Amino acid sequence: MSKYLPKLSELKKEFDEKPSVLKGDYSPREWWNLPVEFRDGNWCFPAKPEVLDDLGFANPRKWAATDEDWQLPSGWQKTISDGLHSRLRKYRSLKLFLDACVRCGACADKCHFFLGTGDPKNMPVVRAELLRSVYRNDFPLVEKILKGFSGSRKLTEEVVKEWHMYFHQCTECRRCSVFCPFGIDTAEITIMVRELLNLIGVNNNWILGPVSNCNRTGNHLGIEPHTFVQNINSLAEDIEDLTGVTVEPTFNRKGAEVLFITPSGDVFGDPGVYTMMGYLLLFHHIGLDYTISTYASEGGNFGLFTSNDMMKKLNAKMYHEAKRLGVKWILGGECGHMWRVVHQYMNTMNGPADFLEQPVSPITGTRFSNAAATKMVHIAEFTADLIHHNKLKLDPKRNDHLRTTFHDSCNVARGMGMFEEPRYVLRNVCNSFHEMPENTIREKTFCCGSGSGLNAEEYMDIRMRGGFPRAHAVRYVKERHKVDSLVTICAIDRASLPPLMRYWNPGVSVYGLHELVGNALVMQGEKKRTTDLRENDMAGFEDGGDDEE
Amino acid sequence: MNYSMSTEWAYIIDANRDVIIGQWLDCSLALFPEKMGYDTPVADALAEALGTLLTGLGKEDQRFMDALDDITRILAVQNFPPSRAISIFFEPKAMFREIMKRSNVAESLTQKVQTEFSSRIDELVLQAFDSYMQHREKIAQLKVEEGSRRMFMALRRAEA
Repeated sequence: MSKYLPKLSELKKEFDEKPSVLKGDYSPREWWNLPVEFRDGNWCFPAKPEVLDDLGFANPRKWAATDEDWQLPSGWQKTISDGLHSRLRKYRSLKLFLDACVRCGACADKCHFFLGTGDPKNMPVVRAELLRSVYRNDFPLVEKILKGFSGSRKLTEEVVKEWHMYFHQCTECRRCSVFCPFGIDTAEITIMVRELLNLIGVNNNWILGPVSNCNRTGNHLGIEPHTFVQNINSLAEDIEDLTGVTVEPTFNRKGAEVLFITPSGDVFGDPGVYTMMGYLLLFHHIGLDYTISTYASEGGNFGLFTSNDMMKKLNAKMYHEAKRLGVKWILGGECGHMWRVVHQYMNTMNGPADFLEQPVSPITGTRFSNAAATKMVHIAEFTADLIHHNKLKLDPKRNDHLRTTFHDSCNVARGMGMFEEPRYVLRNVCNSFHEMPENTIREKTFCCGSGSGLNAEEYMDIRMRGGFPRAHAVRYVKERHKVDSLVTICAIDRASLPPLMRYWNPGVSVYGLHELVGNALVMQGEKKRTTDLRENDMAGFEDGGDDEE
Repeated sequence: MNYSMSTEWAYIIDANRDVIIGQWLDCSLALFPEKMGYDTPVADALAEALGTLLTGLGKEDQRFMDALDDITRILAVQNFPPSRAISIFFEPKAMFREIMKRSNVAESLTQKVQTEFSSRIDELVLQAFDSYMQHREKIAQLKVEEGSRRMFMALRRAEA
């Protein structure tokens, strides 16, 4: 059994002795008086002191959320209050979101964490209220006078604990904001609270560990350049074994036309590496003049889950490398929050990138005017354009062993409005594709439950709960259409959906879109292919079977 | 659907199916924090599985086992202790007793049927416990697998 699990006898004793909502012990109390209780399994490990030291972040110490005393720094209330005040001045959106909400409740049942747990504090409106109640205590004058009546409360250590719990049960997926009549983006409130918590050293190692690694070597795992190169070359060798084709990726090559940046999960993790093999095959197929940077070796940016300044710092390497290498534009791989940062913030944060050109596909001549500002094109758009212009030789039958559905990644769907391109690519590279129910896809897509740095293994129970609505929708197509493959365009999804599927829908595997592209590409000079990139047998391509023309 | 009812209690369950499922779902949702509504995916999944479970109580086919797995799979990752989770499988005993009280079946027969049903439910609880534990083991296993998947290339190089 896992060492994180409490013993049954402990749980029973605890339930009998402690007051509980289940026993009706809190019925006359205000919602915020309900206790917040950390127990192993419902909190992410805090950042290690050395990680905070490396980053120069506040209050490095050894602590656990289950501790009575969180060792907050002296004057922490003032730090938070000043921090909130300065952010209200800096971000007009935050003030607007705190003031504008009328508590209509349209968002309430849209959150996957609320649907998976039934906990009222996971309703986006109440989650935001956790901050709003403190904001009202200190800020607008009228409400300051009307204390109590306006639902305000003092900032106490209990509030900090509550923030830590519930702002880490939000994946910043923004599904709630789709339904808000005022367009309030609750994700932005979560972003702000996490930023405030970082000021007093209340944090998450699964976020800050990768941030520190990125800060040092450029990527989440802290892999150094030679290992990064060896890994990709090792995947190139796999490609040669499987297809007989030699792909030759280059690294840090000055004067290449395109710089390719993808999440490092595609270079190190299973099943991301198969997606990487798909990219390499695609680039070889079209003869793209591209290079990969060992410094901008990470598309993901956990700074987004930490602070605005850290996000900006970690993002800067993309333009730095593009400039140093003298490329014309940047092509970005399959990732979720990377695209939120690139699409919504990069240009104003680290731009303008006037040393780059507006991206033009060297193969089709298509001008990507949508990327005129950022100079960075999403690979699904790039590939969809290639297919549209009939530039790829594809055999979708090579994916006949897979029955697919498509999971819209929150940030790509809601963060940049991309719905059709990946579907267009998917329909062209495989013959069996079935959509999940309408209210669980496109802009209403359900999060994987592990986004925004909650993908920690000690957090598995909560991730399984939060991911339940997504898994339930997959189950629907699994039962009706025998779907066995969940295709996605996000590296966090590729890491977090496999356990989610193994738990809720055994038998469903997770694939990156370009892995399927790689399977379907008919390469010049290739040998007879009988297996896909995972070395699983393809249907109808056995020896003596129906080979491609 | 064609299945044979092997015992008296199975007939009684079948005749009162909707009432029992309704009450059983109420008890199950009461485990969750107060806002777990009837129109959530969790309630939807529970209602479907509880129905299948009740239908299969007398014959224990694969569908019955799958439904049991579906219910415990939900329960095994919640914020309440295992004892609370498993408690819902005892609930049909009380419901059955109420139904028998309202019926005009002879006292001697009532006793016999209730004892039989009670044993079946005890057995169900043990089956549910096995199933619940399988899911907890799965969670532990997923944690290990996730670590290896994340370090896939490093492990591959180490093995090479």
